[in-house]
Amino acid sequence: MLASAQSRRTLVIIPALNEARSITRVVEAVRGADGALDILVIDDGSHDETATLARQAGAQVASHPFNLGYGAALQTGYKWALAHDYSYVVQLDADGQHDPAFLPRLLEPLHQGTADLVIGSRFLTDSGYRMDAARNAGRLFLQRLLRAFGGPRIADPTSGLQALRRPVIEFCCRDFYPSDFPDIDVLLVLHRRGFRLVEVPVTMAPSPAGRKTMHAGLKALYYPYKILLATVRAWRLTASALRS
Amino acid sequence: MKPTLLSPENLRALALSQPEGAATRIVGLVVCATFLAAVLWLVQRGRLREEYTPIWTGVAVAMMVGIAWFDSVRFLTHLVGAWTPSSTLFFFGLLFLLVVSLNYAVRLSGMSLQVKLLAQEVALLRAELAGRREPGDDANE
Repeated sequence: MLASAQSRRTLVIIPALNEARSITRVVEAVRGADGALDILVIDDGSHDETATLARQAGAQVASHPFNLGYGAALQTGYKWALAHDYSYVVQLDADGQHDPAFLPRLLEPLHQGTADLVIGSRFLTDSGYRMDAARNAGRLFLQRLLRAFGGPRIADPTSGLQALRRPVIEFCCRDFYPSDFPDIDVLLVLHRRGFRLVEVPVTMAPSPAGRKTMHAGLKALYYPYKILLATVRAWRLTASALRS
Repeated sequence: MKPTLLSPENLRALALSQPEGAATRIVGLVVCATFLAAVLWLVQRGRLREEYTPIWTGVAVAMMVGIAWFDSVRFLTHLVGAWTPSSTLFFFGLLFLLVVSLNYAVRLSGMSLQVKLLAQEVALLRAELAGRREPGDDANE
């Protein structure tokens, strides 16, 4: 369990879209991991009872009036954290894939001052997590793309389980932050800006079957194209643009 | 017809010198006038903002000038190296549509960002309000 003073300064944000089946379990799991943590569920225009159930489970809820995208939902959480003077943000997925038991491990490098962004990685050690061949190829492609553009070596660049320090939170509230899926483009910008990115090993449950992901359908074709464009854009950002 | 008349240069000169019919001119002018009237009507009804009209008014007027003074289209055709005035009109028409589409895509991108920021503000303000509301408030309302 985290020291209570640190818990008070930490906000757990959970972007959710139509996650009525799992949101109660996820919020309760976070509360079980540390009851002093504040939890904000960002309901990204759900058509089901996600917001109501999250509220009943004890989370605060910010509801987008309509669907804005995963990245925009995260950014709403960052803005809430800034407005309420939180020093740290931990972000979890609402489908139950991320285990809140790893929150202390994610926050430790931030508290020690050795990192600005901590990524929960499935692939630093053999956690038993298995991806299908297509996704694994995508992960390796992103890994190499990030390195090719001068980024850091990140074993799990698509992990949504992350913890951020306040300067990173402030930076991610800028307009560059993507509305859909923040990916290696954001990691590259943060790295170029001088933030320290650190990975810690975690285990994750497999993605729930039947859930629509960014790799489904036509998005599977659009995604690499978008990533490539966004990465080139991140790479071409000038030093002054990164500082300003 | 002598075979020499079929040379590309002669064919091109022939195409350029074809007179435009009065009916074509009248149809063109009516279409342009209707288009101009539609733009003004949309502005009057408040469905088109004034700042978006110059481009459409300009297009309508330019088309009218082209119809009334067809030599200008022939001159343009000669300038761009096209064979027929209709090719020139299609070329510039498509170019115009491309530029307009790109311009609107840029504007849409800006507006998407504005909509996102506003929606986030709404979500945050609602959450703030919900947090400040006392548990008994709902019952009193």
